[in-house]
Amino acid sequence: MNLRATLAIIGALALAFLTVEETRRRAKGSSTGRRFFGQQAASWGLFVLVFFIALALAAPWTAPYGPSTTLDIVALKNQPPSWVHPLGTDLYSRDVWSRLVYGSRVSLAVGALAMLVAVTVGSTVGAMAGYLRGGVDAVLMRVVDVGLAVPRMFLLLVAIAIWERLPLGVLVLVIGLTGWFGTSRLVRGEVLSLREREFVVAARALGAGTPRILFRHVLPNVVAPIVVSAALGIGNVMLLEAGLSFLGIGVPPPLPSWGNMIADGAPQLATAPWTTLFPGLAIGLVVMALNAVGDALLDALNPRRAAR
Amino acid sequence: MALWLVRRIAASAAIVVAVVTTMFLLLHLAPGVPFLPGVETPMDPAVVARLRAEFGLDQPLPVQYAKYVAALARGNFGESFALHRPVADALADAIPNTLVLAGTALLLDLVLGLALGVYQAVRTHRLPDIALGYGTLFLGSVPTFWLGLLSLLVFGEGLHWFPIGGVVDPVLYPTLPLGARIVDRLWHLTLPALTLGCVGAASTARYERAAVLEVLAQDYIRTARAKGLPERLVILRHALRNAVLPLVTLFGLSLPFLLTGAVLVESVFAWPGMGKLAADAIFRRDYPVVLAATLGATVMVVLGNLVADLLYAVVDPRIRVHRA
Amino acid sequence: MLGPMRIARLACAGLALVACNRPPGCSGDFCGTLVFVSAGEPETLLPPVLQAAVARDVSDQVFLKLADLGPSTNTIGDTDFRPDLAERWEWRDSLTLVFHLDPRARWQDGQPVTASDVAFTFAAYTDPQVNSPYRTALRWITGVTAADSLTAVFHFQRRYPEMFYDAIYQMRVLPGHLLRDVPTDQWRSAAFGRAPVGDGPYRFRSWRAGESLELVADSTFFLGRPAIRRLIWRFTPDLQVAVTQLVAGEADALEVLVTPDNVKRVQATPRLATYPYRGSAYAYLGFNLTAPGNAGTPHPLFGDRDVRRALAMAVDRTRLVQSVFGNYASVPPGPMSQLWWIWDPAIRELPYDTLQAARLLAARGWGTRDRDGIRNRGGVPFRFRVLVPTTSGVRRQYARLLQDEFHRIGVDMEIDEVEFSVFSERAAAGQFDALIQTWNTDPSPSSGINQEWTTAGIGRSNFLHYSSATFDRLVEEATATFDRDNARRAWRAAIEEVNMDAPAIFLFATQNVAAVDRRVANVTVRPDSWWASVHSWRIPPDQLIARDRVER
Repeated sequence: MNLRATLAIIGALALAFLTVEETRRRAKGSSTGRRFFGQQAASWGLFVLVFFIALALAAPWTAPYGPSTTLDIVALKNQPPSWVHPLGTDLYSRDVWSRLVYGSRVSLAVGALAMLVAVTVGSTVGAMAGYLRGGVDAVLMRVVDVGLAVPRMFLLLVAIAIWERLPLGVLVLVIGLTGWFGTSRLVRGEVLSLREREFVVAARALGAGTPRILFRHVLPNVVAPIVVSAALGIGNVMLLEAGLSFLGIGVPPPLPSWGNMIADGAPQLATAPWTTLFPGLAIGLVVMALNAVGDALLDALNPRRAAR
Repeated sequence: MALWLVRRIAASAAIVVAVVTTMFLLLHLAPGVPFLPGVETPMDPAVVARLRAEFGLDQPLPVQYAKYVAALARGNFGESFALHRPVADALADAIPNTLVLAGTALLLDLVLGLALGVYQAVRTHRLPDIALGYGTLFLGSVPTFWLGLLSLLVFGEGLHWFPIGGVVDPVLYPTLPLGARIVDRLWHLTLPALTLGCVGAASTARYERAAVLEVLAQDYIRTARAKGLPERLVILRHALRNAVLPLVTLFGLSLPFLLTGAVLVESVFAWPGMGKLAADAIFRRDYPVVLAATLGATVMVVLGNLVADLLYAVVDPRIRVHRA
Repeated sequence: MLGPMRIARLACAGLALVACNRPPGCSGDFCGTLVFVSAGEPETLLPPVLQAAVARDVSDQVFLKLADLGPSTNTIGDTDFRPDLAERWEWRDSLTLVFHLDPRARWQDGQPVTASDVAFTFAAYTDPQVNSPYRTALRWITGVTAADSLTAVFHFQRRYPEMFYDAIYQMRVLPGHLLRDVPTDQWRSAAFGRAPVGDGPYRFRSWRAGESLELVADSTFFLGRPAIRRLIWRFTPDLQVAVTQLVAGEADALEVLVTPDNVKRVQATPRLATYPYRGSAYAYLGFNLTAPGNAGTPHPLFGDRDVRRALAMAVDRTRLVQSVFGNYASVPPGPMSQLWWIWDPAIRELPYDTLQAARLLAARGWGTRDRDGIRNRGGVPFRFRVLVPTTSGVRRQYARLLQDEFHRIGVDMEIDEVEFSVFSERAAAGQFDALIQTWNTDPSPSSGINQEWTTAGIGRSNFLHYSSATFDRLVEEATATFDRDNARRAWRAAIEEVNMDAPAIFLFATQNVAAVDRRVANVTVRPDSWWASVHSWRIPPDQLIARDRVER
């Protein structure tokens, strides 16, 4: 580990800490904010998330080596953690920490983008179904029923089986398109109750068109459940990507992702467990942080829930 | 009540039909002629001819669809390119294994989740609650297959407490008496079922903790305590009964996630179920098997939801009245 | 009320009952269950059409050859062989070889083994419909006739050093009465291949697809009853799981441990013994010289000899071998395994020279590089896909390492991992750009080189469609030369020719280590057909463990 990387990591830690403190200070002003930080785990979750995002964004600095740099395929392969390589090296003598950092870019990006697709499609479908009701609602909700009935992994396997070689972008799209069903139900529920509220009725009476009503009046009030479902959704996608990469149909080598790092390390589990251990722990930490933040958001944005 | 049941069954059937139709359309979107392999997996010409006739492969789309549905109804899913046997046979071998694994995992999920959740609610805000809280949060956040790999390493290879994958001991099983056979099967089932059920148990525990806390805050609990009822009875008799209800909902909701997890866990533990069948079929470019396994998994989920709804109606009398 | 303590006590009693009730089972000299673990599964057990190494292992126990190699594994002349199905032989003249079958030999269904079976076998192995990969080895034998029920006569076209070896080594004698009615174009998928009936020391019992295969000893085997009663092959998804099962005691033997890490794991396990032996395998990254799926046109990238030579020079094969195998393999000086007597480090090969490689590529039009560093010619990037089977961890590792090496000189190689059967079919159909292939060779170069690298091998094992008249001629010369030194010179010329043409990059030739449970006595591993001597292994009665006592 060189000096620049160490400093960069400390910088990321500091940035995360400061961000959390600053957010906490500003949040004290609103009841939502106070409820959010009332949860112990929320601050930790936020800290972990900001830290990893900072790590990912600053990859060339926080990672001492490149993601595919093979250092010495004879002498330095499968080295246990040491001062020089804090997380050890893998089968191809690549520094595990550097791969973890670059892998965070891929894993987080896949998670965020796929979730974005899922949430966009889900919200749109849910809002349309909830607002327009009648035939549109019935058809859309039947589609959602079908989507929820097929286990997601099988759906992905079918997609991958049929189109033999999926470029990464298309894979992300497909992951997103298999995950919007739950969000749409959620949004539909909210929209159904919102559409009879006074401000919506007033807007309708004033002659506003449906799209305008949906986007200006209804959706902004549905943001809460969407944000929560987004936070939890990213975690799900990251786990899914890890699973796909483990099966060999996820992110293709040599591009690192936490999932394919676990897959690469699995055949050496008995002799070099660190290559599998650390990517798994990283996924666990980030998903844990997302779950904590998501839970806290749920509590914060939903004052109706009983006090814990 | 009966009317509601009929409506639910009809809805479930509609879902299955929709999935079948989607599968059919996807088959036709795929490159190459559906049901027939490419040059890389040669098939017996007699079998090819039979498939052409059964699925009407040279005829217009609606006719093909009708033949497809008819074939499925008869249990004919086509021929596996790589295994050289009818897909239905491969499925028939795999489905019981997945049912056993998923069923046990679900049981562990609900039972462990309930126990942990109640314990946490009773010891709320004290050290056991906080520790378990973080513990379950962590367990619910790590990849299941990673957990599986590590548990195989530690408990299987390291401590020799459990075998390294498989359903039964391939050498000794045929010679064992019935009692020992059951023990052998349970011994092989433990690690995969625990791994699969663990993650679900974590979220069930958190859900149950919240539910029990809500119940414990109710007035009638305070009354029971005021009456002098021992705490243990308060929990068991009042709180538990109401905490079990969400389990039924969770049962229905967990099924798709359980089957998604099963694909990975079965691959790690070499458990010959539907998940492993589908995952292996990808590498064999054997897509009739993938589609059939997906259909099978969907039917499982739909049936499971139906059972969950029935249980719900049984357990909560309000439902029966409202849904009628 | 059943309190927890009572339940626990009942459970313990129940378990004890179950445990104590196990019957004593088999005891004495003819017990034993040997569990082999294998990372691949046979596609069929019918000898003329099988290719997988594990298929050969299994069918070696079920079928006999006329004679077999002796301990010296010398393939020249006819004195270093031992009788198997044939009890003796003689030369009627310089082109006619006569075998006298052992009258005690029986098929496992009771029928006697006759010379007409031998004639039938030869016809099958050379039948173009059966399309056996071993056909090229038999090309100098014009016919096999049955003089009487126990006398088989081989007629040769010409004299050459390995006449006897060719007559006996490739063919495992087949039961004519059971296979005559199976149409020859369906032998690959024939039911006989999934439930074979042979004349060897073991008979087939059961095969659970994807799980395990069982053979049981034939107590009436005419050359002596095998001491170990049952042989079971367990199939695992890959080598890592296989080694884990071996180390955990769920298996008894593994033929090739492959990597130094695995060897260390096994050596750290007291109940396992390791047996090093000369490796019979070599591997290469092969280029498809014809366009995928269109054998008439040359490959857009690899039809060009200089491009292939450049890629061959861009790979540091020595370092790759050290990284993957440590000391358990070396870089072969051409398409050969460590088993072959023609191995000679002085054979001329293409050097490791990345500068030369870059210059060659530039000279062939691949001089410009795009933003990612990948070379292109007229806007088309130098990109190809390599085919690798999922069952081989080593080949997958090599694919990643080669990807890295090629990337450094501006060539983008993408990896296609498919299951072994798909790999074999795509290889046979020419549906690939490049593949990483491993061959387990026979003891003599003549059959292997012919099958894999000559024009006659196209359509059989020559997946790359490599065809060089010069090379073919040199190989013929070498095969026919009687004098050892002249033969060595001739072989060297042939190997140097194929090295310079670079249809493939020859990556490694293994030095094998097998692992067998220590309770098994009399263990020998033959480099060319690993478990060939299993029927002479034994488990002493005082070393029997639970699964050895199983009597079924």
